[in-house]
Amino acid sequence: MTTPFSPPLYMQRYQFVIDYVQTYRPRKVIDFGCAECRLLKKLKFHRNGIQLLVGIDINSVVLLKKMHTLAPLVSDYLQPSDGPFTIELYQGSVTEREPCTRGFDLVTCVELIEHLELEKVESFSEVVFGYMAPGAVIVSTPNAEFNPLLPGLRGFRDYDHKFEWTRDEFQTWAHRVCREYGYSVQFTGVGEALGHWRDVGFCTQIGVFQRNFDGINWSMSNAECLEPSVYRLLYKVVYPSLCDNNIYQKTLVNEVLYEAQHLKQEWLSRLNMDSNNNAHFYGPPFMEALQHGDACEWQPVYQQDRSICVPLTRVWFSPKVRALCGSVQRLREELLEEERVRMSADGTVLNLPADDEEEVEEEKEEEEEEEEEEVVKTVSAVSNSVEEDWDRELGGYEGV
Amino acid sequence: MDPKRPPFPGPRGATRLPWLQPAEDQGQLPDQSPLGRARGLVLSKDEPLPGRGRALGVPVESPVRFGRGVTQSVSEPLVGMGRGVQLPMQEGGFGRGRGFLLPTPEPTVGIGRGAAVGPMPTRDIERSDVQEKMPELQAEVAPIITKVDAPGTGSSLVSMFRGLGIEPGKTWGRGAAPIGRGAAGDFGADVQPKPSIIGAAALTPERGDACLEESISFLGRGFVGVGRAALPHMGVGRGPIGPSGPMSPIPAPFSLASAASISEEAPIVPGTPTKVEVKIEIVKEPLQKIGTKGSPVSIGSNYIPICCKNDAVFQYHVTFTPNIESIGMRFGMMKEHRPTTGEVVAFDGSILYLPKRLEEVVHLKAERKTDNQEIDIKIQLTKILPPSSDLCIPFYNVVLRRVMKLLGLKLVGRNHYDPNAVVVLGKHRLQVWPGYSTSIKHTDGGLYLIVDVSHKVLRNDSVLDIMNLIYQGSRESFQDECTKEFVGSIVITRYNNRTYRIDDIEWAKSPKDTFTLADGSVTTFVDYYSKNYGITIKELDQPLLIHRPKERSKPGGKVITGEILLLPELSFMTGIPEKMRKDFRAMKDLTMHINVGAEQHTQSLKKLLHNINSNNEALSELGRWGLSISQEILVTQGRTLPSETICLHAASFVTSPSVDWSREVVRDPSISTVPLNCWAVFFPRRATDQAEELVNTFTRVAGPMGIRVERPIRVELRDDRTETFVKSIHSQLTSEPRVQLVVCIMTGNRDDLYSAIKKLCCIQSPVPSQAINVRTISQPQKLRSIAQKILLQINCKLGGELWTVNVPLKCLMVIGVDVHHDASKKSRSVMGFVASLNSMLTKWYSRVTFQMPHEEIINGFRVCLLAALQKYYEVNHAFPEKIVIYRDGVSDGQLKTVELYEIPQILKCFETIPNYEPKLAFIVVQKRINTTLYSYGSDHFGTPSPGTVLDHTVTNREWVDFYLMAHSIRQGCGLPTHYIAVYNTANLTPDHLQRLTFKMCHLYWNWPGTIRVPAPCKYAHKLAFLSGQYLHSEPAIQLSEKLFFL
Repeated sequence: MTTPFSPPLYMQRYQFVIDYVQTYRPRKVIDFGCAECRLLKKLKFHRNGIQLLVGIDINSVVLLKKMHTLAPLVSDYLQPSDGPFTIELYQGSVTEREPCTRGFDLVTCVELIEHLELEKVESFSEVVFGYMAPGAVIVSTPNAEFNPLLPGLRGFRDYDHKFEWTRDEFQTWAHRVCREYGYSVQFTGVGEALGHWRDVGFCTQIGVFQRNFDGINWSMSNAECLEPSVYRLLYKVVYPSLCDNNIYQKTLVNEVLYEAQHLKQEWLSRLNMDSNNNAHFYGPPFMEALQHGDACEWQPVYQQDRSICVPLTRVWFSPKVRALCGSVQRLREELLEEERVRMSADGTVLNLPADDEEEVEEEKEEEEEEEEEEVVKTVSAVSNSVEEDWDRELGGYEGV
Repeated sequence: MDPKRPPFPGPRGATRLPWLQPAEDQGQLPDQSPLGRARGLVLSKDEPLPGRGRALGVPVESPVRFGRGVTQSVSEPLVGMGRGVQLPMQEGGFGRGRGFLLPTPEPTVGIGRGAAVGPMPTRDIERSDVQEKMPELQAEVAPIITKVDAPGTGSSLVSMFRGLGIEPGKTWGRGAAPIGRGAAGDFGADVQPKPSIIGAAALTPERGDACLEESISFLGRGFVGVGRAALPHMGVGRGPIGPSGPMSPIPAPFSLASAASISEEAPIVPGTPTKVEVKIEIVKEPLQKIGTKGSPVSIGSNYIPICCKNDAVFQYHVTFTPNIESIGMRFGMMKEHRPTTGEVVAFDGSILYLPKRLEEVVHLKAERKTDNQEIDIKIQLTKILPPSSDLCIPFYNVVLRRVMKLLGLKLVGRNHYDPNAVVVLGKHRLQVWPGYSTSIKHTDGGLYLIVDVSHKVLRNDSVLDIMNLIYQGSRESFQDECTKEFVGSIVITRYNNRTYRIDDIEWAKSPKDTFTLADGSVTTFVDYYSKNYGITIKELDQPLLIHRPKERSKPGGKVITGEILLLPELSFMTGIPEKMRKDFRAMKDLTMHINVGAEQHTQSLKKLLHNINSNNEALSELGRWGLSISQEILVTQGRTLPSETICLHAASFVTSPSVDWSREVVRDPSISTVPLNCWAVFFPRRATDQAEELVNTFTRVAGPMGIRVERPIRVELRDDRTETFVKSIHSQLTSEPRVQLVVCIMTGNRDDLYSAIKKLCCIQSPVPSQAINVRTISQPQKLRSIAQKILLQINCKLGGELWTVNVPLKCLMVIGVDVHHDASKKSRSVMGFVASLNSMLTKWYSRVTFQMPHEEIINGFRVCLLAALQKYYEVNHAFPEKIVIYRDGVSDGQLKTVELYEIPQILKCFETIPNYEPKLAFIVVQKRINTTLYSYGSDHFGTPSPGTVLDHTVTNREWVDFYLMAHSIRQGCGLPTHYIAVYNTANLTPDHLQRLTFKMCHLYWNWPGTIRVPAPCKYAHKLAFLSGQYLHSEPAIQLSEKLFFL
């Protein structure tokens, strides 16, 4: 089906959901009939605070085929996100009740209901609005009134459509659902007709349902999501995030060590400069600490015995460290229980070994290495007593 | 016919008769023991076979023969194995049809099998036997061959044979018995008048798992028993991998590809419509590439056998009428016909591969949605491929990539990495991702999965982060520094897993600029990333990175050109940072994780194999094409070449197992030395002490090596500026033209100074020069050995000769060629050329040529070769009779070009010299390969010893090639070098090629031991590197007979 819309209509539908997510910031989202997971893939990028993203489709083949497109990217590991994020894919039907699906903030049913037999729509309403009872539901479906404007269209827009509703039919259904399950609905859509055709409404009609505030007891929304009992879990991936304490610790320690190492190098090269008046010395560039502005916090790096001491407050200047820890106090606490970092007892100074440079071994020439142990020699004329002549051997072939 | 084929045991002529009868009997049994199953194209029971009409009642005059290794008298591939076979179906149903194909459980077969289990004779014996018997075979073998595979385990097979009353392990031989022609006459009225040759046989050489049985069957009227060698690579007792399995000494190439049909013309009965011929892929005869010298050793390699359970892959040509241009639409239409094609398809828009056989021509209908036009889809069977066919490899590799994904590995670049096993090196802000590079290849040994352990270094920093750092460091030269740092490096983008090479930086653009999307709309980078990926660009003033993809065309024929612009903020750096490379300590942190030893390497491989084989989804993915991957790493037999004798001036000695003669070369005089009469040392003031100490040490250590060292001219410089060095050296050389050698002592690692000195001494005022970093000579306890090494190096540079090995070929010239590409300045590449001038291979002539990109290397090569021949003539008063060229840096894809283009040019080059026709061997040297060798003993993998050669199983089917590991390994894995004899009119035998190569690996004078590549290649590499990296021009011709570039 080619529609004269730009961007294509399906993109506009996805964009509608993305805009909704951006505005209302749901945490737990289900996409019913996710099929090729395209909306999920979009939402994975446009998270806006989504923590759990669930896709459900009755067709497991397509899910299995596409599920890997939802896997974390390499960059998700390189820069873990701040908030937690999990994607789950289930095989299941919208007409079946699955306890795991309760207590969500948003359920989207994009171009879904028209694929159901009309008599099943009733149980769909019951399951989604009655049983799952999410905070909001977005239902989109074709607007039959628009069909005459679609070039070359006979019958329904897709061979699998069981019905296509007019605005009236859709709204009648929607209002009944609202009455029965305690929702209120607003109608909108995407894909507007031009000029005097505007009266037919949007090409895709959309109902946005909000649960009324009364009635249902939401204690279950916080219940631990148990193993699915009706649906089949096909895929689950937990994205790396700083909420995972291991990842947080690791990231923080890495940033701290990197910054400390940097400060140490800077200090060492300055030391080297002072002691060596060679005009052509070129060391790594170093920053003037003064550029950090608040000079009162500024404390020098110094050497004590065999270690270089970097004050924690200096490390704290790193914007990346700051972003990870709200305060120096927290930074200190985090580092004190971390064995990869050596700290002074009061937690104000990081200790780094000073002897890096001296130990550097010369191993520049290719493959060279001194072997200290005595090698037993094999000396002279043991084998190879037979004189070889390949030319003669070759002669056999060539007749030379 | 394959000369390596083993003899056919049993009395001729007579043996055959008994088993025709049983064949008939067997026909009545619908379900045979696995032994009796004829595999192959025959088995498409579910589908009505194509070509029915033709087969029906047609007395096929010519026999259709299937067999491995049939190469002689290849006339025309016959239309259809299936066809010949089907006929019985028409007549009596399938059971009977199969009966024809099942003359298998013969005693002979059993014997063949048994051989694999029992002790085996050596290859030599076997081969000579075969050769003797060959003529008889050709005369007598009956025209029909049935090959039957025997799936199952080795042990069960053995017991089966026991059941048949045959004692396994008695005789070594094949289960095919020849059939006399007379006998044929008895049975078939229309027996083919011409005697035909059958490629029966094929050894079942693979390491003790004789996995295919063959027998010759004769069916009356020349009908065909089609058989397939099945490839149960693993299914069948792969003894060698388990510790108890016997190692087969027969590494004969064993080709998986099997069914080949050759026949005389098959007359077509009038009235039968002519059809497009279905071709059946013919298997080539394996090349003669196996050597014998040296002692056998068990060798493991990172090759994993792949078993194909399917009998064949069917290739179809798909045509759409009226034609459909859009590839996408073609895919869509084919997708609708999955009920016909099945779920398992490989389709590229016009060629379709299926694991199942359709009718010869299938017509399908589809509707073009845009205009409701009805489209006729014609699917025409074009080829029947053995499942190991090269044509199948691309989609097997697609399957493999899917499997890797199923295991949760991430594709970065071309390899897969495991995000759950990442090692974080926080101090350097980088992560090491362990992973695998995998590919499926069809080698001499069959179908293999080649797995190498790979590590990806990813950095936590974006390009923008590093730009900021650079900016803090140097504001003035910021852009230059950035170009230096980033151009040539690979980045991975934040919004997908793609990697891009940075080719340039676009300083004039920023994320606020616009670009045009595929649909024609224009958007800014900021909007694009925000809209598509929800990413907010923080820095609006960053420049953009440019990636220029290579021109390539998509399947649809659309050519992709133009630049790809990337945002520094959204691009992560990969690879080891340049600064870190120079930091020994940091590199140690890194290499600790990257350089894995054999034990660790094999562990990782086994882990992957285990993961594949315990993942049901992965198994079913592979199973779709009938593939299964072994759990075990290939273990086979290689050889360790004999140790060489190193000859110095007077002393000579056999190399020790560690192939290290660093002590001998400083203790005994070199072959020839050049006395250092007049030489100059330049050093900055603060290195005065070290310079003095070095000169003193030189004098002390020179004696034993046979070098005479006079006091040098000492030039103390007031500072260590490049200018100071260059000026003093220049004035010294002008005032004292007799200076033989310039020694410079430098402070620090300074490329600019090094480059300036080398330019001066290699081009402007040609003189051998030696640059020494003051740090190298600052440790008194090491000074002695350092001075010895430097002195040896100096001797080479002056034209002295250090050591040699005996090469028993006269009038030989060995040439080494290597090409250096500069990653950042991609304008020119440099070819280094080094040729031997004397019989001892101790005098070398060297040349350099520069070439523009896309310029053929051969142009410069001809100039160098002619000059070298001229020089050789001057020295020896004759031209070399044999020339062996070692050419480094040719990828697999370029081998054909070398053979078809470069070599004819070289031969033409010889023609310019009257009456000159030297013998030529052209050997391509490949260092960067994925093959790893392990030593194997008592269930444990280690590093193989120097001189280990492997010349079968993992080798290339197209060429005479071998893998040689010449160097000794201190850390990491055994990475052999791959040698491919692309051309060999010198008729050097595999043994000669291998040993000559190994000998050449002993002759690199900068290293008293063996190295990875032949010395001339290493010299050529050194020369090309120096010229490309530092000189940027050809060195002076006066130096061409000295190893000045060491």
